[in-house]
Amino acid sequence: MALEGLRILDFTRLGFGAQATLICGCLGAEVIRVESTRFPDAIRVMPPFVPEPGQHGEGFGAATLANATGAPSPNRGGIFYKYNTGGKRSITVDARHPDGLAVLKDLVARSDVVTESFAAGTMERWGLSYDVMRDIRPDVVYVSMCGFGHSGPDRAHVTMGPTAQALTGLTFMVGLPDRAPAGWSFSYLDHVGGYLGAVAILAGVLHRRRSGEGQHIDVSQLEPATALSGALLLDALMNGRPSRRPGFPSGNRRAHPPSAPSGAYRAAGDDRWVVISCRREEHWAAFVAALGDPPWTADPRFTTMAGRVEHADELDAHVEGWTSGRDRYDTMHLLQAAGVPAGAVQDAADRLERDPQLTARGHFTMLGNAEVADLPLEGVPFRMSATPPHTGGRLRRGPPCLGEDTAAVLQDVLGLGPEAVAALQADGALR
Amino acid sequence: MSAGATDGHGVDEHGTEGHGVDGHGTDGRGPGRAPLDGVRVVELTDESAEYCGRLLAGLGADVVKAEPPDGAPSRAVGPFLDDEPGPDRSLAFWADNVGKRSVVVTGDDDVLALCSSADVLVHTMGPRQCAARGMAFDRLHEYLPDLVVCAVTPFGQDGPWADYLADDLVLMALGGSMAACGYGPGAGGEYDTPPLASHGDQAWRTASTYAAIAVLGALAWRREPGRGQFIDVSAHECSASMTEWHLMTYLCSGQVHRRGPHPTLTAADGRQVAALNPDFLGPHVFTRMLDMLEDEGVAGPLSDPAFADPVHRAANYREVWRALKRLADKHDGESLYRLGQGAGLPWGVIRSPDEVLDDHHLRARGHFVELDHPELGRSVTYPGAPFLAPASPWVARRRPPLLGEHTDEVAREWAGPSAARLAADRSMPPAGGGAGGATAGR
Repeated sequence: MALEGLRILDFTRLGFGAQATLICGCLGAEVIRVESTRFPDAIRVMPPFVPEPGQHGEGFGAATLANATGAPSPNRGGIFYKYNTGGKRSITVDARHPDGLAVLKDLVARSDVVTESFAAGTMERWGLSYDVMRDIRPDVVYVSMCGFGHSGPDRAHVTMGPTAQALTGLTFMVGLPDRAPAGWSFSYLDHVGGYLGAVAILAGVLHRRRSGEGQHIDVSQLEPATALSGALLLDALMNGRPSRRPGFPSGNRRAHPPSAPSGAYRAAGDDRWVVISCRREEHWAAFVAALGDPPWTADPRFTTMAGRVEHADELDAHVEGWTSGRDRYDTMHLLQAAGVPAGAVQDAADRLERDPQLTARGHFTMLGNAEVADLPLEGVPFRMSATPPHTGGRLRRGPPCLGEDTAAVLQDVLGLGPEAVAALQADGALR
Repeated sequence: MSAGATDGHGVDEHGTEGHGVDGHGTDGRGPGRAPLDGVRVVELTDESAEYCGRLLAGLGADVVKAEPPDGAPSRAVGPFLDDEPGPDRSLAFWADNVGKRSVVVTGDDDVLALCSSADVLVHTMGPRQCAARGMAFDRLHEYLPDLVVCAVTPFGQDGPWADYLADDLVLMALGGSMAACGYGPGAGGEYDTPPLASHGDQAWRTASTYAAIAVLGALAWRREPGRGQFIDVSAHECSASMTEWHLMTYLCSGQVHRRGPHPTLTAADGRQVAALNPDFLGPHVFTRMLDMLEDEGVAGPLSDPAFADPVHRAANYREVWRALKRLADKHDGESLYRLGQGAGLPWGVIRSPDEVLDDHHLRARGHFVELDHPELGRSVTYPGAPFLAPASPWVARRRPPLLGEHTDEVAREWAGPSAARLAADRSMPPAGGGAGGATAGR
């Protein structure tokens, strides 16, 4: 596997940081999650819970402290299973216990990379600042992933995905004209921040191979997002066309390249939709042919792209008149067969149950652990011919139960025998 | 491990990979250089995967865009500088091509010649197109065994939808983001507005980012000759994997998340603030919020000790939200955001993409960079480093290239194999040459 031999000591929590080490794990890195039994990762203990066989759990809407404190086990929090594939192992160590801290320092000495996603200063307070780690392991690549990063005037600010999305323009870019932004209903930037966290880890490792030099790489949840708005920033700067203006954001319509019909159209069923996007003249010609040349398509207003864009509202009414009585997948396949870009608007159930492409590509891998039966889980969405990634990582296994690898890691990595581990356990250092 | 180690694993006495200088780092590069300095990348893509090359260029790679004489397709995509189209005036092109060089190629033999001096080829072709153009991976690998080839396509190289067409909008629909974004039901309880996709081509960007990650992984592994490989990125799969908790919620509960905005407060100046209340993180979250609300004199019934009980709080959440609305009525958006953050709450004022430029925190971190556009006689501001790596800083080497600007320069500089290359390549026959037949027989 591509990152064989790379060891990551991973203190990340929640989504943003864990996404980064998930990727490295799927590429073959050995990822050791350092956790706490007293302060478990919130996504281990918050709904939705992976149900007992034959039962149904609760939805995400119930993610309150009331529910978190009633968590059935630290191994049933559903979102944990989204972010902790890649064959991660889990150990529990109490960083505030002197012997626990000593164990962590020994692990730092034997790790290539240390990752964390705490508020700035947290690891420093434990006695594991970058300076301390560098003394132990001079070439350590330390990658912190924290909302606003570790420097700058607002470094104490905290984020979750939607916070960063609001501040960086992502929320603003989803909406209909002249309404408040709709934004994203999920933490897209937990993913994006994690992707760039993985880039940071890999860049740090490659730099160290060349130079022998480690470093502290400071990843925030804001900077990975500023380039995601594409040309909107330059349009404001160069053309004096700020994004906050009447008519923008323009829903699903895109001014560049100007294209119509393009958007989401109602399909048969309850709140079902299909996207059609005729970006080129050839797509329109194929669309007309696929529909069997109905008379409205010959309307002179629709014969050129410019005309269709100008009369997009009238055009969309015709298109939706056609789509609204049809099954969304039937429309998609009919149009695709004719050479028109089209796709059903798929929800989570559709992706799991009605998407033969994801299935054929092996997008989901059935993995579980001692407490949770196999689930269809995700890893990295690409293939590599010589070093195939695996959702179960180098160990080919599911996300870990809390602390399930403590004894094994202390033995494998630190060479501690069972008695030494038992002593640390009795001592309260491995909580 | 030491310089020149060839075990491919480089495991040192710690059982880790250690820091020995790898096969392509034996040329005396010192600290402070970018991680991909000296790595040559040929980019033969449409607009869907240009962001990959932008990331690789930021890491120091020499990314050469191979363009037809009339320019890459993205040069024809607006908006344009002063709204006047032209190959060097596309702001969409500018945004995703910072730091690259441009070479005009007159045919695929030119592309293959570039590949023969390169470490990485990024393209956006499916299997049929690759074969037709003499760029199937097997053939490339036979002659250029070190070359990493990364294909970014809508659905990947195989599967029942492999030949389907998709732009970013179609990918956002099939991937699931769209179903989960938009406004909630209207007055009648029915959804009266469509699901929405973000601007900014997010499915393409996610696929491009994963492509960059895969290329980095392939380069990390390529420590010995012959270790080129093929990377197959499906933008659909990338798009499908970025909706956080939605798949797990369905798996756990059988419930499908339906679209609707996150809770947002409207401040006194009409600005909106994402007002998250991560109660699940622990009792301190509410305690600190209550302190803030009491300081501001708007706590109302929340001061009742009953609200310290999370169960009571969850059952009476409307009162919490009312108090927050009273707070919002007193402040403008920027100060409401800062007030919430002062109480440890992950709040953020909703900014447009260009309003982000004024953020003093990002400015203090040196995020935005000014790149000189000599052809315009001015500099232009671009987003810079996505993270701060002091020993191997992000590179903002040059503004996006003019069409063909570096054709001669690259021909001179890339005359020999890349310094980062591991093995001498065999000479590559022309695309239409006899070797194609031989390769097809493998």
